[in-house]
Amino acid sequence: MELLGLSLALIGAALAAALSGIGSAIGIGIAGGSAAGVMTEDPDKFGSCLILQALPGTQGIYGLLIAFFVLNKLGLLGGAGAVALNWNQGLQIFAACLPIAIVGWISAIWQGRTSAASIQMISKKPEAMGKAIILPAMVETYAVLALLTSILMLMGIQVG
Amino acid sequence: MSYVYTVARLRGMENNILDTNFFSRLMDSQNLDDALKSLGETSYAQWLSQSQSFDKAIDSEILATCKELESFVPDKELLTIFRLPYDFHNVKVLLKGLFKVRSGESEGRRYDLISKLGTIDTDELTEAIETEEVGFLPYGLNDLIPECWRLWEQTKSAQTVELLIDDKMFAAMLKVAEDLNIPDVTQWVKFKIDAENLRSAVRLARMKYESSKALNFFHSGGTIRPDDVAKLLNEPQETWTRLLSHTDIGAALNAMQDNSDIKISLSEVSKALDGYLIKVLEHAKYSMDAPANVLLYLLTKETEARNLRVALVCVAGGLDREFGRRLLSNA
Repeated sequence: MELLGLSLALIGAALAAALSGIGSAIGIGIAGGSAAGVMTEDPDKFGSCLILQALPGTQGIYGLLIAFFVLNKLGLLGGAGAVALNWNQGLQIFAACLPIAIVGWISAIWQGRTSAASIQMISKKPEAMGKAIILPAMVETYAVLALLTSILMLMGIQVG
Repeated sequence: MSYVYTVARLRGMENNILDTNFFSRLMDSQNLDDALKSLGETSYAQWLSQSQSFDKAIDSEILATCKELESFVPDKELLTIFRLPYDFHNVKVLLKGLFKVRSGESEGRRYDLISKLGTIDTDELTEAIETEEVGFLPYGLNDLIPECWRLWEQTKSAQTVELLIDDKMFAAMLKVAEDLNIPDVTQWVKFKIDAENLRSAVRLARMKYESSKALNFFHSGGTIRPDDVAKLLNEPQETWTRLLSHTDIGAALNAMQDNSDIKISLSEVSKALDGYLIKVLEHAKYSMDAPANVLLYLLTKETEARNLRVALVCVAGGLDREFGRRLLSNA
């Protein structure tokens, strides 16, 4: 039962890092395609395009942060050995990882699409860069909320 | 390559589309040299130095645009839909030339009217039609050309042959669009057929044509049935907009009601219908990856070319600039 709890917690950490990372990779890929198209016609827009392309990358970082948080909670980072965990505690940690895993994955893809549209916008109106950043940043809000939810849930779980 | 890249690149290319300020400046030019000097500051510059006339330079720019798009548009059929009318136009030019030659007219062939914008190499098409070895021609032309010959032998009417060619052209465009399976594009082809039918109806109405004899002039495949377009000829033109109020295209005919001058009215209706064909695709502008953006860009470029021709002919011929301005499309 102790091993099941640890396994569940590790699966949660893996999902948080993997799903949000996949989402970020797809989002950055979509925005990158758009950036490449704009820069083919106007290479001077590299700076603006890069900022917008990078925006969907944050979800991957949030997922990694939660994975570190879980590993630290389990005592797997310091080399002191894993803490004892029953299946119920393992399931709680698994559940705490889900918000950032799911929201990070989906929001990164949609943020990538919004970034791609913003990149197309600055190709025609470079002066609207500020507005172009705000639009994909709105999607970011929900990734941040999911990150906070995961952190708060993890902080509330007692282990060891 | 995905349409995200394609549309983003088109957005970049749209920055080079000539705007209304440019056309206003062009119309204000004192003479053709001044106008060409202004044009020399745009993407047309490279073609002006290589071409014998501004007309050829404009064709070269459109052709270069098609070739550039071909290199990055995932579905080449979108370009085919745009270029097919030029293929069928070339077939018309070549066949009508041969009809005249066979009728004993000395100056039958008009190679100068052949457009390079079609998908089929013009030399190959010319040779195929002149040698009557058309088996390899695509888009149903292999069957159409012998059919045209038969029809001409029976009727000796170039207009009847022309109508048959138009009919097959729209059928070919619709087939390419349906195979593409992009609803916006299929819908656009249907609207194009409607627009062509209404354009013909306006012309026929001016000629006081009877609806019973006019059915052959209308093509099937659009959203309005040819029968219904023909019925319009029985009604006063002021009522057409109301009769077509169940369709989006009906509003484009408003231009006809607002003008009593026949020549202006015809060109206004034609302009309004062309504008309508661009307008129906404009919602694609709000999508970052809609394939219809490709067609929209090509149509905008084609309108730009048409406007350039109008403006340059106006300046070269010293025509009334206000009249010229009214002929320019707004798209």
